[in-house]
Amino acid sequence: MSSYIPLSHREQWADITPIPQDDGPDPLVPIMYSTEYRDAMDHFRAISLAKEHSERALELTEAIIRMNPAHYTVWQFRMATLLALNKDLETELELMNEFARENLKSYQVWHHRLLLLTEISPQSPSKEIDYIHDSLLPDPKNYHTWAYLHWLYSHFSSLGRISEADWDREVRWCEEMLRTDGRNNSAWGWRWFLMMSRPGGKGTQDGGKGEITYALKAIHLIPHNVSAWNYLRGILTHFKLPLAPLSPAVVPYTEGSTAFAPVDSSSFDFPLPSVPLPAHTPLPVPLALEFQADALAEQRRTGEASAIFAELSQQFDRMRAGYWEYRRRACE
Amino acid sequence: MDPPRAQQRTFRRNAHVAYFQRCLRALPTAAQGHDPNRITIAYFCLSALDLLGALDDHVALEQRQSWADWIWSLQSPSGGFRGSPYMTTLDDHTSPPHLPSTYTALMTLAVLRAPLDRLNVPGLISFISSCQCPDGSFSPLPAADEYISAGFQNDVRMSYCANVVADVIDAGLPTQTQTDFIARCKTWEGGYASRPGVIESQGGTTYCSVAALSMMGTIPEEPAASIRWLLQRQIGGFQGRPGKLEDVCYSFWCGAAITILGHAGLINAEADRAFLLAAQSPLGGFGKEPDDYPDPFHSYLALAALALSHQDGGLKQLDPRWNVSRETANWLREEMIRVA
Repeated sequence: MSSYIPLSHREQWADITPIPQDDGPDPLVPIMYSTEYRDAMDHFRAISLAKEHSERALELTEAIIRMNPAHYTVWQFRMATLLALNKDLETELELMNEFARENLKSYQVWHHRLLLLTEISPQSPSKEIDYIHDSLLPDPKNYHTWAYLHWLYSHFSSLGRISEADWDREVRWCEEMLRTDGRNNSAWGWRWFLMMSRPGGKGTQDGGKGEITYALKAIHLIPHNVSAWNYLRGILTHFKLPLAPLSPAVVPYTEGSTAFAPVDSSSFDFPLPSVPLPAHTPLPVPLALEFQADALAEQRRTGEASAIFAELSQQFDRMRAGYWEYRRRACE
Repeated sequence: MDPPRAQQRTFRRNAHVAYFQRCLRALPTAAQGHDPNRITIAYFCLSALDLLGALDDHVALEQRQSWADWIWSLQSPSGGFRGSPYMTTLDDHTSPPHLPSTYTALMTLAVLRAPLDRLNVPGLISFISSCQCPDGSFSPLPAADEYISAGFQNDVRMSYCANVVADVIDAGLPTQTQTDFIARCKTWEGGYASRPGVIESQGGTTYCSVAALSMMGTIPEEPAASIRWLLQRQIGGFQGRPGKLEDVCYSFWCGAAITILGHAGLINAEADRAFLLAAQSPLGGFGKEPDDYPDPFHSYLALAALALSHQDGGLKQLDPRWNVSRETANWLREEMIRVA
């Protein structure tokens, strides 16, 4: 038996007439609500209809959100109540720290947090940034957390509250994330934002040289790293640079293939890696073959390009056989 | 005895029919978190039974009519649908219509073949218009109702839902700002992120973007980059992002996006199907991966993914944009002409 004391038996709620849910005679997907949840919602309906923004409304909404963190109407009512009562939003933020740990995947938790930060509007968001960095440690690919970090920087930089030193610190933090896990695609995306897409990003100032070097180094550490290859191609596309000049850096990863390398490497001026490939790297690397084939196709050397696509289709990347065959046919 | 995986090579149609019927009748307390979105769970279950061709045989006509009545009870007086009767008040302010719920309510009514004479079309148009923001994005609730319109929730999922509804009722929403908004969601990878500037493409948001653009009659810019990124996600089944595990829902999100872009034939259907079948639960439904518990979301999207490739006898063909059977989509088009 539950020891739950219904709200209507508590003095604080005695004046409220609960409104039960009207689910009609034949509801779809009825949920077997817990006693606590049903009772809380019956009371929430009543105070919401009465637009009662009170202390007990805060207690009630907290209780509901703990049972159902996705309840957008309840979150909305809670925020309106916090503002109406002029509550200390820092206290609410601390409560959210506890919530976020258990509900990292709830949109509403992040949205509420964003509204709080907008309202509090600190002179520097550094405390919040540290908090987000910490919460990415146990879950380094959480989409919502990264989207929130992006919002944080965009919002506070539009208010002029992110200094160049702050940006540099963030780049170093991001590089540390990639050192820990070079395959973390979210961290690669974050690097793109910091270096390329934010106004003043430093990767845009040297025609792509720095970012290409960074990506080539990452590829050499983990030759099968999809994210690093995609990043490299993203940089080339961004600067409208041809692929072929990078060919000398790509050749070592095509060993085992009969692929021709594009010959135009006159403008190659990137340091080739001084260390050998990691031991036991399966070769050839399909991503490298794709790169060479695209470089050849770009030079209209379609026969050689199509030979590589055929190898990918028939031998080195059978999972995508249909796609590589389609690329091969497109060369003809 | 066969190893468990070997038992999962056949499509367990009857078990799936039973699974979705069970969910329609009752969800456990653990599903309380879905309380505001019950109509969407109902859509998963009923559209699944439709794809399985089981609605007529397993759900009596009176039952379908009375379920439709429940959905009509969610229609807001000013237009649009709520996600569930959890507010039980006719006050639009305490219980506003909700964009994703409006999409799934409309599709579910069509699956049930409910006459749409009761659909408040002018209200629906004014509801979606009230969700559209100056930057071309959509908010899940009428924008004026948001106490602070920070836009964080205005992502391409909302653009998708708005465009299906607009496509069904021929709402004629302004499209230029919309296509600009979606174009700004495209990342360096070739796919689409949830919002402009958000750092990473994802299978679900790429589907929403591609489908929304297609319903507006536009072709995404540089589709080759998107096709490359989408096919790169196949690792047996599909992953949602590089470096993540396969999940049955991405067989639908990526597979349907590839299909809309006109390249369904490039998918390795055999590998995809093997993964999907291995994720079937012995009691019906699908988990997100093999040996995981089933839930209506993954179960429906796995079925939808199987229906995309038309390989399983007993599954109807899927409309990859509206995400219902083609049969239901055709009925809905004709019904809208009838009630116009």
